[in-house]
This record gives sequence, C-alpha cells and structure tokens, in this order.
Amino acid sequence: MGQSFSDQAHLPISPFSPFIAAPQKIAGEHMPAAQPNLSVPAPAPLVVMRQIEKSYGGVRILKGAHLNVGVGEIHGLVGENGAGKSTIVKILAGEVVREAGEIQWLEQFVPLESRAEAERLGITMIHQELNLAPHLTVAQNLFLGHEPRRGGWIDRSREVSEARRHLERLEFDLDPQTPVRRLGPAQRQLVEIARAVVRTARLVIMDEPTSSLSAKEVGELFRVVQQLKAEGTSVIFVSHRLEELAEIVERVSVLRDGESVHEGPMPRQDFGGLIRAMVGRELKDFYPARVARLGEIALQVEHLGRGTEFQDITFAVRHGEIVGMAGLIGAGRTEVVEAIFGARTADRGRTLIDGKETHIRSPRDAISAGLALLTEDRKRTGLALNLSVAQNVTLANLTALMRRGSLDLGEEEKVAQGYIDRLRIRARSLNQKVSRLSGGNQQKVVLSKWLYRRARIFLVDEPTRGVDVGAKTEIYRQLNGLAESGAAILMISSDLPEILGLTDRVLVMRGGRLVKELVTARTSQEEIMRYATLGEYGQQPR
Amino acid sequence: MDNNLAETPLTAVAGVSEPSSTRDWLERVLPFASVAGLFLLLSIFAPYFLTVQNLSSVCRQTAVINIIALGMTLIMISGGIDLSVGSVMGFAGICGTLLLQAGFPLIPSIAGAMIAGAAWGLVNSGLITLLKVSPFIATLGTMGAARGLTLVITNGMPVVKLPDSFGYLGDGSMAGIIPVPLVVLVVLALLTGFILKYTRLGRYAYAIGSNVEAARYAGVPIRRYLVAIYTFGGAMTGLAGMIEGSRLMTGQPTAGQGYELSVIAAVVIGGASLSGGEGTVAGSIAGAFLIGLISNGSNLLGVSPFWQQVVTGAVIVLAVAVDELRKRRRGA
Repeated sequence: MGQSFSDQAHLPISPFSPFIAAPQKIAGEHMPAAQPNLSVPAPAPLVVMRQIEKSYGGVRILKGAHLNVGVGEIHGLVGENGAGKSTIVKILAGEVVREAGEIQWLEQFVPLESRAEAERLGITMIHQELNLAPHLTVAQNLFLGHEPRRGGWIDRSREVSEARRHLERLEFDLDPQTPVRRLGPAQRQLVEIARAVVRTARLVIMDEPTSSLSAKEVGELFRVVQQLKAEGTSVIFVSHRLEELAEIVERVSVLRDGESVHEGPMPRQDFGGLIRAMVGRELKDFYPARVARLGEIALQVEHLGRGTEFQDITFAVRHGEIVGMAGLIGAGRTEVVEAIFGARTADRGRTLIDGKETHIRSPRDAISAGLALLTEDRKRTGLALNLSVAQNVTLANLTALMRRGSLDLGEEEKVAQGYIDRLRIRARSLNQKVSRLSGGNQQKVVLSKWLYRRARIFLVDEPTRGVDVGAKTEIYRQLNGLAESGAAILMISSDLPEILGLTDRVLVMRGGRLVKELVTARTSQEEIMRYATLGEYGQQPR
Repeated sequence: MDNNLAETPLTAVAGVSEPSSTRDWLERVLPFASVAGLFLLLSIFAPYFLTVQNLSSVCRQTAVINIIALGMTLIMISGGIDLSVGSVMGFAGICGTLLLQAGFPLIPSIAGAMIAGAAWGLVNSGLITLLKVSPFIATLGTMGAARGLTLVITNGMPVVKLPDSFGYLGDGSMAGIIPVPLVVLVVLALLTGFILKYTRLGRYAYAIGSNVEAARYAGVPIRRYLVAIYTFGGAMTGLAGMIEGSRLMTGQPTAGQGYELSVIAAVVIGGASLSGGEGTVAGSIAGAFLIGLISNGSNLLGVSPFWQQVVTGAVIVLAVAVDELRKRRRGA
C-alpha cells in the first residue's frame, strides 16, 4: 500500500459511512491535527478492520466500525462508555465473532473467528479483568497452554529459566517462582504483559491497562510498550485517559455509538477536537419537560470515603431535584451510591437523610430510611430472575401484603397489574418469569418495586443501559414524575445527552473523587467530558 | 411456567395454564408421569402390588423420606442443601423415644423430637450465616457430629421398652384403612405448600435461592430467613424420626443412615434445582414416591436390593441431567 496509511481517502466510503460527515465536522480550526500529518511516516498496515457490525440482544453495538493499525504502531482507541471500544478489540482478539465486516491481516483477508486463530496470527489481549491462574507461579502462568516439554513431560527447569530470561529482558522485577496470588494488581498486569511477549505477539491489545496502576507503574508500563514497539510489535491502547494517551500513542481512533468518527495522529495538548468527536451527539428531543420545584435537602453526604475506591465525597440532593453523576468507567460512581445504600460500607464520612444523620449499614437500613437503588446490573442485584413479574414488584414490600398472617395474593395481582398498566410493562402475564422480559421491561419492573415501596430518595445507576428507546422514554417520564412529586433523585449515567436532558445539576467524578459540580443549564457535553477525562485540569482553557 | 407448580402445591399437573413450549411442559410433568407410569407397570406386572396392604406399606415406608423432603424442599429452594438430615433424624428419634421411655405422653415426646431436630437446624444455619461456611460443608460436619452424639447418648444401644400406644404413629390407620403417616404427610405437605405460597418465609426462600444479591438489595433479612428455613427443616426431620421409631418400636441410634441421599434425590427428581430458586412440594412428593415405588416394585418382582441401589442411582443422575439440560437451553 503506497499511500499514506492515515489518509482516510482509501477507506471504503458508503453513502451512510460516518467517515464522510464526522471528520468534516471536527476538522478545521478546532483540530488541525486531524489533517493527515506527513511528518509521521506511515507504517505498513498490520491490521485493517472494515465495516464491522455486531449486536447484542437486538442492540447494535458496532455499526460499520473501522480500525487500522500499522506495524510497530502504538494506536489509541477512545470513546465514551458504551461506544463499542471493548467489543471491537474483542473481535480482533477472536473472543467475539463479528456479524459482518472484513478483517485484513498483513493485507490478507482473514476470517478471525476464534481465539485460537487470533493467537496463531500473534494477537494477544490483556484484559481489564485479569486472566491469570492465581495458584500457579509466574512462570507457570507465562507458559500456560504452551509449556516447554521434554519427552511428554513439562520441563520445569526450562520453564523457570525461560521465564527468568523474558522477565530480565523486560526488566520486570518478578521472581518466576512466586505464586501469582501473592502479587498485587500492578505486578499481575506485568505478568499479563510478559505473557504477551512470551507468545511473540505481533499485536498486543491493552484494554484500560492503567486503571489499576499507580503513576509510577504507568511509567513502567509505558517503557514496556515502547520496548514492544522497538521489537516491531504493535499495540492497541484502549483508554479514557487522554493525557496518558498523549504520552505514548502515535495515532488515535475515536468510536462513538458504534461508529468510527475520527482517525488521526494523537494530539499532544489540545484535546478539544478529540473530546468533541467522542461526545458529538445530537440532543434528542425525547427528554420530557419538567418543572423543578426544589424542596428541603433530602440526601446529604459529607466526606464519604471507602478505602481506595472513593474519597471525600460531599454533595446534597434536594426533594424535587434530579442530580446527575457523570464520569468514566472506574471513576467510582457505582461504589459511592452502593455505599450510600449500605450495600458496601463507607469507612469515612456521614450521611444525612432529611437533615438527620442516619447510620446505614445494610440495604435494609437504607430502605427503611426511604432510599431505593436501581442497580447498574439488573441481573446480578436488581431482579430475582426465577420469580414472576408480580413477585419481583412486591419483593421489597411484602409486609404491605400481609393479611392475618398470610400473603394476600389477590392484592398482589392487583398491585402488580397497576404498575404494569402505569409503566406500560410489556409482559405476557403477571406470572411470567421476569427473566423472559426485555431489558427495558425488566428495568420498569425494578422501578415498580421501589415505587411500591414508596421510596422518597432514588439512587439510579445507569437506568437506561441496555434499554430500548421506547422504554427509555417511559423511564424518563417516571423519573420526572417522581421528581415532580417531591422525590430526590441521584442518577448515574454515562449517557451525556441523558444527563443534560434530565438533571438539574451534574456531579463529575474522576479517579474516586468529585472533581466538579456543574449546573446542567449552563454546561455542555464537552465540558462534562473534559472534567471526566482530565479532572481538575478540565477547567484550563483549551 | 414453573411458577404455576411452585405456587400450587399438591394440585400436581392440573392447573398448567400458561402457554409455554411442549418441552417445558414435558419436563414439568416428568416426575408425575414417571410415578404414574411406574404405578401402571407395577399394577400389571407385579402380583400383590395393587393390594390395600401393599399400597399402605408403600405409604408408610415413603412417609419418612417424604416428610424430611418437605423441609429439604424449602432448603433447596433457598439455594442450600442439608446433608445432616439422616443423622439428625436418628438423633431426634433417640431424644423422642427417651422421653417416651421416661414416661412422657406421646405428644410432648414428639414435640421434644421436633425441638431436637430444630436445634440442629439452628446449628446448621448458624454455621452458614455467621461463620459463612457453605451449606454443603456445614451440614457435612453436623452430619458426623449428630450421629456421633446419638451414639454417645445411647452408648450405641437402641432405646426399647416403649409404650404400645407409640406404634399408632407409624403403624396405625384412620378409618380402618388410611395409614396415619400418610395423614401426617398430607397435613404437613399442605402446611409446607401454604408456607411456600402464602408467607414471606416461602417467598423469600425463592428470592434468596433465585438471586441472593437481589434479595439483599431489596432489603430481605437473609440471615433471619435462612435460620427459619433450616430450623423448619430440622423440625420436620425430627418428626420423621419419631415416625421411623414408631414403625420399629425402638429408638435406633443408627436410624436414618443414608437417608440424606434418598431425600435429596426425591427433591431433585421433583424438579428442584441444585442452584436454588426452583422446587415444589408436589414435585418432591412425586420424587419420594418414585424412589419408594422402585424399591417396592423391585421387592415384589424379586430384584436384588443391590440392583435397586443401582437403579435409584441412575434415576438421580438422570433427574439432575434433565435439570442441567433445561437450564442450558434457557440460555443461562
């Protein structure tokens, strides 16, 4: 391929390709760096992914996305939560099979439909959640599945010596004979990286590799990445942290809602264009209007902290108010609301409900205090999947159904039918197992559960994740109605238009801290994203 | 829908109203169909099977397993298991018969046996909720401990010289034909069915077994209800110990050995899932009768008791395999 690899002209352009519109939108004075930069010599292409499609349960995650990585290139992949970053790299690692689209490896078309095939090509992925066998030693993990053998037996001494050779070459301070369970998260990350090197990878994919590392360890990781590059290995670096990417990444691709919206050299300082490319969605008009009538402070949290998860969280939510909580994955938002709800215990700070200090040690205490939590993970913590729609609706308030020592099942049916009608839950019957409902209808069941419990303070964690558009509107309508009736709502969301469309104020979290409080009417997706990615530096002029 | 059965104990196959796939339906009626089929086969091929005497003896024999299975149903619905039931049954039987021997009337002695059984349930649930020992290991431990204590108390000797009136519980009949243990079973089955359907205890058992985290997030006091569930199971086991004692007219310190396997098998055959959240009273009873019929039929047909064990084992594995297949098809 003779022409510049970063030149977008050679990309396939369909009439619907986002590549036509998006780069034009963000090009120009905001982002001069988006133009082909001829000072960076174009590497030979290693992998070219085109028009990749993938859906989960009817929701399109990738809508014809592209990804191009050159030989020996360090490539950044950025985008909002849920933009499809993880999905596209998992397809490349053979962990997820695409539904459509083509993949070229060294200019040859490859099917790439299994992990084994990806491994054969030399593609290794280092996961967010680490994949090591904790009871085995470092050396055993490095060679897991590829043990050096002599005769039919594992050659243990060669295993250890080979491992030591690799670790020394990488300058990793690790003893090959230490069991992995004795290592900290950062050292485990090093083992993962060493494993990729041992397998002589051509392409190493790192999905959020720095999220569990300290600044010093990040430095060490970057040194290794440079060494990999020097050996001709390419690296895809999936991350939220733009300032980190700027240190190491040469070129960057931006995914937004499953589409490729930008590809170009990584800017070193001015991230404005990149952030705009990440969030540049239109505000849709399905956010119903709401008259905010603010009452007294309902929920007040002071200096809440828990280990390394989050520190010094202080904010208040009034009756009648919807407060948004924005931030990237791993910013600690879920941890904060779970601590408020008593599902995990905060070790510092206090919580006041309606002005009174309240000790909440379990969800039960929280519920008694009028709190409700719509959890992020409905299947794990929101629903009893084997139980029926009606049984899930009444689960948190069975006491209200007791009549002379037994449950009034007729009343239960009436109650559940009432919520099915009110929230337009689409279920075949009251007795249908909740596991058979769609995501949106499941979420409405969870919401009904808390409505029936007559909660007054709602903590809602990603309420519309995996929910279809119709159900979204219904959930927004209910949240608005709740706020209008005087409930206080704290809403975590990674969907910035949703935050802007629904809330009165926005709290932005980053790295376990509240970095900024913004008034929704006077902010923008770009501003929120700036604080979420850059923290306190977000306020510096772009 | 499984819930239809879950919520309507003892109405068996009737009342299946919700449209669902034929295969789902087949799996649900499988335990009942097996019992009916085996019953039919034995009626045709086994002489003396269809006699009042034989059927009444089948009822008496299976009542003990059945009553323990009622408690086990609740425990397994909540996602737990109780391996100690056989030993606890022996322990409670000894306690009850010792009370009888000491001159206590029948009812207080039965109550004593049930309290002894409930105490072991309390111990089991304490280990599970406070020490966070898994139910399997906790009850494996108490299985050994309860049996050991029974042998210590009795010095390995059976409790004898019991009043003749004691025999009524296991061998008596009502209206001249209905075995007393069957009456006891029906009453307790209705009670357990009521608990499962109409009380928070039953509802929370399903919720905890289905998703303990979701139950916790909904404010269900998990520990308190697990204690109640295992204690109920222990009381049922204690009563079963007295029925067994009454049938033998002695308190045997080795009574109930190996019963835990038959009980768990009955509950699993009846459609309870080893991972919790599913199970019905009607199913468990069908499961216990299936095992009882296999044993009775083999005796009548002159099949060696050694082979009976092989057949029972195969049925258990089959039942679990069906359960796994069902779960896998649901698409985990």
